[in-house]
Amino acid sequence: MDGLAGYLLRRLLFLPIALLIVSFATFYITRWGPGDPISVYSGQYRDPEAFERVRHKYGLDKPIYEQYGIWLRDVVTEGDFGVSFRYRDRTIPEILGPKIWVSFRVGLWAFILSFAIGIPAGVLAATKQGNAGDPLIIGSFLFFQSIPVLVLTPILVLIFAAKLHWLPAGGFDGIFSKSIIIPTIVLTLPGLAGIARLARAATLATLHEDFVRTARAKGLRGDVVVMRHVARNSLVPVMTTVVGLSFVGLVEGAIITETLLGIPGVGSFLFESVTGRDYNVILAMVLLTTTLFILANLIVDLALVVLDPRIRAQGGQLR
Amino acid sequence: MTLAAQEVVIGEAEEHQYRGESLTRRGIRRLLRKRIAVVCLIVIAAFYVTGILAPWIAPHGWAEQNLDASFQGPSWEHPLGTDRTGRDMLSRNLYAARTTVIVTFATILTGSVLLPLTLGMLAGYRGGGADSLISRTGEILASLPGLPMLILISAALRPRVEDWIENVEEVIFAGWMDPGLRFLRLCGTGRDDVPVECDHPITDTVFDDYFLLVFVLSLFGWVGGMRLIRTQTMTLRDTDFVLAARANGASTFRILFSHILPNVLPLVIVGVSASLGAIAAAEIALTFLGVGVQQAGPSFGILIGEGASRTVMENHPQLLLIPAAIVASLMFAFNLLGDALIDVFTPRAR
Amino acid sequence: MSNRLILAIGGVAAVLILVLAGVLVFVVAGGDGDDGSDGQTQGQDNGSGDSGGDEGDDGDSPEPGGAGELVLRGDDPISLDPAIAQDVSSANYIVEIFSGLVRLDKDLQVQPDLAERWERSDDGTKYTFFLNPRATFHDRRPVTAEDVKYSFERALNPATGSVVAENFLGDIVGARDVSRGRADEVSGIRIIDDSTIELTIDAPKEYFLYKLTYPTAFIVDERQITARPTNWTRDPNGTGPYTLKQWALGERIVLESFDNHHLGAPKLKTVRFELSGGSSLIEYEDGNLDISGIGLDDLASIQEPGSELNDEYVQTTQQAIDYIGFNTKTPPFDDPKVRQAFALAIDREKIAEVILLDAVPLASGIIPPGVPGHTDEDKTYGYEPDRAKQLLAESQYADDMPEITLAESGAGGTVGPTTDAIIQNWREVLGVNVEIIQAEAATFFNDIDQGRYQMFHLGWVMDYPDPENILDLLFHSRSRQNNTRYENAEIDQMLERARVEQDSEARLQIYQDVERKLIEEAVWIPLFFNRAHYLVKPYVKGFTLPPTVIERFRDVEVER
Repeated sequence: MDGLAGYLLRRLLFLPIALLIVSFATFYITRWGPGDPISVYSGQYRDPEAFERVRHKYGLDKPIYEQYGIWLRDVVTEGDFGVSFRYRDRTIPEILGPKIWVSFRVGLWAFILSFAIGIPAGVLAATKQGNAGDPLIIGSFLFFQSIPVLVLTPILVLIFAAKLHWLPAGGFDGIFSKSIIIPTIVLTLPGLAGIARLARAATLATLHEDFVRTARAKGLRGDVVVMRHVARNSLVPVMTTVVGLSFVGLVEGAIITETLLGIPGVGSFLFESVTGRDYNVILAMVLLTTTLFILANLIVDLALVVLDPRIRAQGGQLR
Repeated sequence: MTLAAQEVVIGEAEEHQYRGESLTRRGIRRLLRKRIAVVCLIVIAAFYVTGILAPWIAPHGWAEQNLDASFQGPSWEHPLGTDRTGRDMLSRNLYAARTTVIVTFATILTGSVLLPLTLGMLAGYRGGGADSLISRTGEILASLPGLPMLILISAALRPRVEDWIENVEEVIFAGWMDPGLRFLRLCGTGRDDVPVECDHPITDTVFDDYFLLVFVLSLFGWVGGMRLIRTQTMTLRDTDFVLAARANGASTFRILFSHILPNVLPLVIVGVSASLGAIAAAEIALTFLGVGVQQAGPSFGILIGEGASRTVMENHPQLLLIPAAIVASLMFAFNLLGDALIDVFTPRAR
Repeated sequence: MSNRLILAIGGVAAVLILVLAGVLVFVVAGGDGDDGSDGQTQGQDNGSGDSGGDEGDDGDSPEPGGAGELVLRGDDPISLDPAIAQDVSSANYIVEIFSGLVRLDKDLQVQPDLAERWERSDDGTKYTFFLNPRATFHDRRPVTAEDVKYSFERALNPATGSVVAENFLGDIVGARDVSRGRADEVSGIRIIDDSTIELTIDAPKEYFLYKLTYPTAFIVDERQITARPTNWTRDPNGTGPYTLKQWALGERIVLESFDNHHLGAPKLKTVRFELSGGSSLIEYEDGNLDISGIGLDDLASIQEPGSELNDEYVQTTQQAIDYIGFNTKTPPFDDPKVRQAFALAIDREKIAEVILLDAVPLASGIIPPGVPGHTDEDKTYGYEPDRAKQLLAESQYADDMPEITLAESGAGGTVGPTTDAIIQNWREVLGVNVEIIQAEAATFFNDIDQGRYQMFHLGWVMDYPDPENILDLLFHSRSRQNNTRYENAEIDQMLERARVEQDSEARLQIYQDVERKLIEEAVWIPLFFNRAHYLVKPYVKGFTLPPTVIERFRDVEVER
């Protein structure tokens, strides 16, 4: 497996390079753009001289490349991501840790449900091709996907929280509390269509394969055929590809959902940090998400190679 | 459709091989035979036409307040009622459609057509250094979280970019586009009684706001399409007719244009349809969060934001439901069309 | 992959779905493991019931005494260090955990706090404070004069990073030497003995005591800070009526009463701030919050006499003002006639009525209500469109009006409806098309400081109830807070006289004259004063929202 080990190495080497580039670019964009966190978080007192003194204290008056060098050194040698201007009493890992944990739990059910509902629905739609079933399933999922999160969330809150008082209006109390219901609904619905469609396409592709037709000709029952042969071949590529990309979708969906529902997760925090120019927090989060994305893609590609014999046989279209 | 889902759709189409020259034409013919697809196309076309004609159809300007006419229901004067400050909802929705039209059109042009085509074909055909550079850059851009980066760049760079544009415009344009811009109603708020400057094609018009947004959306949107086109180009590069053309001494440009481009077009079409929804949604989300379109006109993001507070929803639900319904219908049309396109262009899954 | 594996995956997926369905049913139908909701009472003595990331920073555990828990919404503070934090969110907690030599009571009168009495020299420049012998930190260590000196010098020290220390402590002789890095100690602070300290200020300023009620002048524990310089705020050893029991970032803050407080143990034992969540009004209706603010949207329905919540509705006028300021050095607003024209062209009454639903009072002047010197007499320009047009025509820019922009802070895509309406007024009455620039907070204030905007829409919150805090601070030509670049030698002189005027009536008269002049010259257009609207549960007694940020929980009782 020389090729595989080499491939893995190459991909892994890409990670630090990408992080360097990304951190540098983010660093420059945030600091080059106008505005700085000192004036944002200083309340209504505008004392330019005092601001300068405070900027000096935090090293913000140094040239940007020098600041970057200092930051890089601190991160690499001590794991010190710097100070957050929004939460001066906490270190950045202490701030981000709980928030990430909250966002993770909020998205967990949605993630599971997307697959638990999407894949069987997609397979079902494929088998029903030709009837009304197929377009109906996919169509309704597409419909859900078309309703913007911005619209759905306030409506759900209005009905279930304000009017019926069944659910809380927001916040987060844990994965088994009522507060998870609205976010789960809102985060699951848009992703169903994509997953179902992939599952359907993969199933269809396999259904037309020769060996399936052979099996059918031999008289095996339709559903057994589907389960054994189709699922094996279609499930794997579907799952691996989509897992990586659904994660992306969840992260983006989370920003709006968390902001609208007042959930103290990493999505709403990212938005706050950007508008507040909380430099170090922005950097830390960008690095984190970039790392996660790259790793997710890597795992996905690897899984594809390892699990799907067809790709392995071809030598892989490894990019 | 999120940017992620867009990738999913493109990835799906990637699984199949393309052959033949008139695939595009065949595909389109097949598409038009599907009733759903035709309906979707009509809806989308209607939306876009309305958006373009908004300045002429709208009964009022989109920023005309009338504090005496706050929160009115539908009437002859205001067919869709008014909002809190007495602005006509019909006009605001029409102009919001225009916003979507302009943003999606401009972004698609750069981010889903021009950039992926040129970069993809270049990378696929030339290979080597160009390929590495383009692909690596694409990978980095693709590993950045889309929405957060959009917010960051929009928020951080907006004032700088605005200044820069103003300077450039002063030098180049200074005045001669005035009549044209006025005719197209690209300046001001749709009111005739207020004098507005209309000299500069970007700073005085709606494009001022959209520039950064389109730039940013394109920047993060071209990667998926580029990859597909690149793969396809690489495959095509080794086919018989391309080899034959090269043997006959045809130039790179000619080969790209006459042989590769027509076969790559279906991918572009699918990519465009997949992105339309994502881009429209991204613009609405960004504007809702406050970093998108601001002054050039209302956007559905703004209309939804205004309509989504509790009391307004309870007492005047139409303020939310009308823009929501329009957006949902448009997205639905985009999505169904995309689905149909994939069906049409992937021979096996039929 | 074997068939068995496939079946296994399929089986797992099926089980997952079933489990999920079951859980959802259970959750919706029955209980969640959380503390009292569903309209139950909230007044019980609630121990710890926390969920989610607990930071585990417990303060010291107080002895029994005081009862009840109050639950409300809060915001994460930026920092709990009184020398650093300058925002309202942080101040809300700081004023409960820490305290200073003096404090403001509910009527905004200066009262003793850590100092039980003080003497003022005849020339008004020396204050001698006698510390209350019962005053201690939360760890029972008595507060000494050394602590006071340390706290003040620390706040002024540039290494601490305070942006306002000079403002509040700068009147002390030698203070600016420390804040500019020229000295380590403040010469005007003299320790007489362990419980007596003398402060010398540079001129007999009546308002100096007010400045000592501001968090920058609060007392902090030298030993704790020296021992734990980077994380002492995790469980701060303060001197206030409450200790910090828990701060789970983004989730909740819990304050617990300090029963050894020198002014008496607080009646209310615990205050819990929920930092996240959806609409606070809905949470209030569900019984999860005891106090809730009311947004503009919901105000109308609550104010109706028939509404259920109407009995619980309270409003308090805040000492703050909303205004439009002009950059008096750039065209066209360097011509007072233009400014006056703009001021006369706004129909504030209608805006207040339609857009703000009369939720805020029209500003009658610059000095907010409750501050000495304020009168209800309306000194501002009303809505006189004809006069406005005339003034504009008379101005030097009548034929040659440059482009005008109004800047306001806004992260939203929409311009505030108030600003929108004002722009509309100007358009209709004066025929001037004003463009709005929506600037992010990050850049807005900087740009104002640099004079980039012709006019801007801003607000000002009083830090202490004295007109000096608004008239002098914002309009004196050499003041760094002067954002209108207004320069008027006569006003400067009047302000300087008022600083040291000993006769309080005469002093207020000077300020009122200054105010009149400023309004007349339309340096600002005062728009509205602020009013807070909130709901309080009937079982909460003794709670009022003070007009400015001072401690407010000590005397609250929750009767359940």
